[in-house]
Amino acid sequence: MKKDNIVYTVIFSVVITFIFVFLLSLTYQATKGKVAKNEKLFEIKAFLNSAGYDLNTINNYEEFFNENFKEEKTNIWSTNKNGEKIIIYKFSGNGLWGTIYGVIAFNKNLDKIIGLEITSHSETPGLGGRIEEEWFKNQFKNQQINDKFKIVMGDGKGDFEPNDNSVDGITGATRTTESLQKIIVDAYEFVKSNR
Amino acid sequence: MSILKENLWENNPVFVQILGICSTLAVTNNLTNTFIMTVALIFVTAFSSLTVSLLKEYIPKKVRMIIQTLIIAFYVIFVDILLRAYLPNISKALGPYVGLIITNCIIMGRAEAFAQSNPPILSFWDGFTSGLGYMWVLMIIAFFREFLGFGTLFGISVAPSGFTTWTIMIMAPSAFFLLGTLIWISKTIMLKKEVK
Repeated sequence: MKKDNIVYTVIFSVVITFIFVFLLSLTYQATKGKVAKNEKLFEIKAFLNSAGYDLNTINNYEEFFNENFKEEKTNIWSTNKNGEKIIIYKFSGNGLWGTIYGVIAFNKNLDKIIGLEITSHSETPGLGGRIEEEWFKNQFKNQQINDKFKIVMGDGKGDFEPNDNSVDGITGATRTTESLQKIIVDAYEFVKSNR
Repeated sequence: MSILKENLWENNPVFVQILGICSTLAVTNNLTNTFIMTVALIFVTAFSSLTVSLLKEYIPKKVRMIIQTLIIAFYVIFVDILLRAYLPNISKALGPYVGLIITNCIIMGRAEAFAQSNPPILSFWDGFTSGLGYMWVLMIIAFFREFLGFGTLFGISVAPSGFTTWTIMIMAPSAFFLLGTLIWISKTIMLKKEVK
């Protein structure tokens, strides 16, 4: 049969697409369980990190999580760390390019952030994507918060002063920073009215 | 051997063919990301060139571009799935980079220009070396951008304290200047050679 024949072209396209998609589905099915497990573990680690637990001292993250964390309402969790109640909220909100997912932990009186973790985002790598870097997240530890909380443009080195109700944003990522500020204030307001 | 030399220098995909510029601008403000991204690209170019070459006798002319895209997308998604399952940390660090490989015109360019009319092993080598040619140019740009923009190399702080970082280097436009300078330098060297 001639190669440029329309029937051949159609049959060839269908067959080859089928083969490649079939191979991909096989790989996907074969790794699905593993991927889901990785993601679950990643989220659990984010919960533990945000609440300030030291991951090095915990053997089985999943077991520890199930024992110590309680879901009080949809997306609002709580844990008791050294007798102090910590409220953890699983948030999501609009970033510049897509939804930003993460968890944020507050103290019992809701005037301090214990920690912030980003679990998934689609911000520009190297710019807005830097919200998941350690120095950025560390700024939130023990950070005072009220409804006037701000992420401001600083010198890019981070603002680790806990009592000023603000942290530094990311140079070159103004829009992502603004979005994250709104997400955090919204999260704060939501937890405040729903706990 | 001549293919290696051609792809690394005389016919370098980035500064002679001016291909793959999008990713050159986007990812080169950090050496680690650039490195992983280019390694993944080398894998994809090499194997998609190999596959296109193996199938070239059977691919109808009319739909060959679509089939090439299909093959490239197949490898990119394949890499993405494997990273997610077995190297979750690297997969998280890479984020959208892996998917972006599909849009890199170097792969398509090599498949269409070389693999379409050459034997499989040679095509594989051509794809591989093209990826290398892409890699070294990007690594040079990333070196300057990360050093001047963050004062770090591979995330390790190397600049003297008190070093003022250049914000422009973090932003995409700086890659334009660096790439331009690099093309200028390489062209000057090439022209000198030709005169001799």
